[in-house]
Amino acid sequence: MTIALETIHQSSAGTKPAPGWFRENRSAIVRHGVINFFMLIILAPLVWVLMMSIKSRSDAMRSDFWPRRFDFTHYRYVFDKIDTFPINLLNSIYVTSGTVLITTVCAVLAGYALVHMKPKGGGLVVATLLISLYFPVRVVSTSGLILPYVTLNLAISVLIMRSVFQLVPHEVVEAAKVDGAGPWRTLWEIVLPMARNGLVVIFIVNFVTAWGEFLLCSTLTNDQIVRTMPVVLAGAQGGLGQWSWPALAAVYVLVVTPGIIAFTFAQKLFFKGLAEGVVKG
Amino acid sequence: MAETTVSDRMATRPVGHADTLGARMTALRHGMSPWWFRYQAYPIFRVLWISFTDYQYLSSEPAHFVGFNNYAAALNDPLMWSSLWRATMFTIMFLPGTIILPLLLAILVDKVSNPRLATLYRVVLLIPAVIPSTLVFVLWKWMYNYQVGPINHLLVDVFGLFTLQNAPQWLGGTSLTLPAIAVMEVWWGLGYHTIFFLAGLAAIPKDLPEAARIDGASEWSIFWHITRPALAPIMMILVVLRFGTAMAVIDEYLIFGGFNRDSPTYTWTMFMYDQAFKLGLWRQGFAAAIGMIGAIAMMIVMIILIRIFRPKG
Repeated sequence: MTIALETIHQSSAGTKPAPGWFRENRSAIVRHGVINFFMLIILAPLVWVLMMSIKSRSDAMRSDFWPRRFDFTHYRYVFDKIDTFPINLLNSIYVTSGTVLITTVCAVLAGYALVHMKPKGGGLVVATLLISLYFPVRVVSTSGLILPYVTLNLAISVLIMRSVFQLVPHEVVEAAKVDGAGPWRTLWEIVLPMARNGLVVIFIVNFVTAWGEFLLCSTLTNDQIVRTMPVVLAGAQGGLGQWSWPALAAVYVLVVTPGIIAFTFAQKLFFKGLAEGVVKG
Repeated sequence: MAETTVSDRMATRPVGHADTLGARMTALRHGMSPWWFRYQAYPIFRVLWISFTDYQYLSSEPAHFVGFNNYAAALNDPLMWSSLWRATMFTIMFLPGTIILPLLLAILVDKVSNPRLATLYRVVLLIPAVIPSTLVFVLWKWMYNYQVGPINHLLVDVFGLFTLQNAPQWLGGTSLTLPAIAVMEVWWGLGYHTIFFLAGLAAIPKDLPEAARIDGASEWSIFWHITRPALAPIMMILVVLRFGTAMAVIDEYLIFGGFNRDSPTYTWTMFMYDQAFKLGLWRQGFAAAIGMIGAIAMMIVMIILIRIFRPKG
């Protein structure tokens, strides 16, 4: 993308060779040049991994950027030949969706209660928080990872939701109450749609933390079969055999792409939510 | 600091009311202190208590109160001081880059007027922020790899600055490991911090710098007198937060450094982790004392930083 932008600059400079045009737009050209330089730095490592995952094995050891022979079979190879791979991937999906779901529900309820609710429904919030508090942190199974992860994320999620809910005027909630809507209906049908952007933010923040958590998962689990994909990836040594460099890179691309795609689709809401919840809060 | 205010509130609350759910909810709504206390402060007080005992994990013997023995032992251990110093070195390498580069980039991106380009830039900026930490570490472990890593490939094959024999060994606890981790961390935070600064820049009314420019103010003085004060609160948050994370880094050292005590990556967090979980003695009382000393040292510097970066007026 960045390279394309640079060629646009060059070609438009080429069609209008007048030196005056260049002088007038000099600051803009320098500015876009510097920005694109930084964009290139941000994208370069990711592009390198993508290229690595489609190189032939002999090209992988040669470390030139552009391979002499492409090989797209690594993606199928990791599914067929690495026996724990599908299980690790499922572990990741299971742990992440569990964490994101529980954290989001708790954060929404707590944030809503903190800002708008009367004490009546508050017991549920306190109970949920307390339950998640007193769970022991030592776990031996994949399911056991979910609650510690919820614990990690809950404080920040509740704080974000709280500042997002503060943007919803009290009058709206009062009006819903006057019209006969209970607290659940008010939350579900009126307040939550107004807080959509903040919801996207905690969704993505929680997804990223749970999907990639390392320290707890590697300390608390001791069997490859119950670990999440990123932890297995961190422990894998590149080289020959099962974990050849292109195979490793293919696993990496498979693991990292869902987050980037989800973010790209949700970016509009995410930026709005970020401005509402994080910066002002 | 947060703990003291919380415990103050706890102390001033009427005791008789504390047990009824209604009172608890009222308190929750008014500052959520009980919840905050249980959730954030309890582990801190627990560690504080452990640091005064000879508590050992998985030991059948009950813990004894040993007073300041753990603290004396930690303060007399030269490793305590060298490991704190190593964390400080890392922070010095990391903190300026992770504040100044995003600030510069945000000022440049803020001037992009084409809405589609501006969105594109913002999306690219945030891509590293949606990559989970572990995967960032794995990625940069490959970047710095001795055989296939593109960084050494550039240095050796493309620019010819080194040969295969003397090519730099980045990771594994050499003297280059801390700067290498600092570069990775700056890369990781670059986009995210830029977005923070962009949000601050968006809050500046556009006619303010315009008016100054018409009055003949230079770009530098516009930056110094309009942009800088407007960004001061965000700057303070970033400096204080990132100081805290930089001093307390541990995942990166575990992955890139290893448990060699002479490695520059063996900081006080590694020392603590080593004592508490790794060495087999599980001297958690001693480890807790290391942690408390490190945390107090950080808190002192944080107070100084807040005083320096606090927005004036």
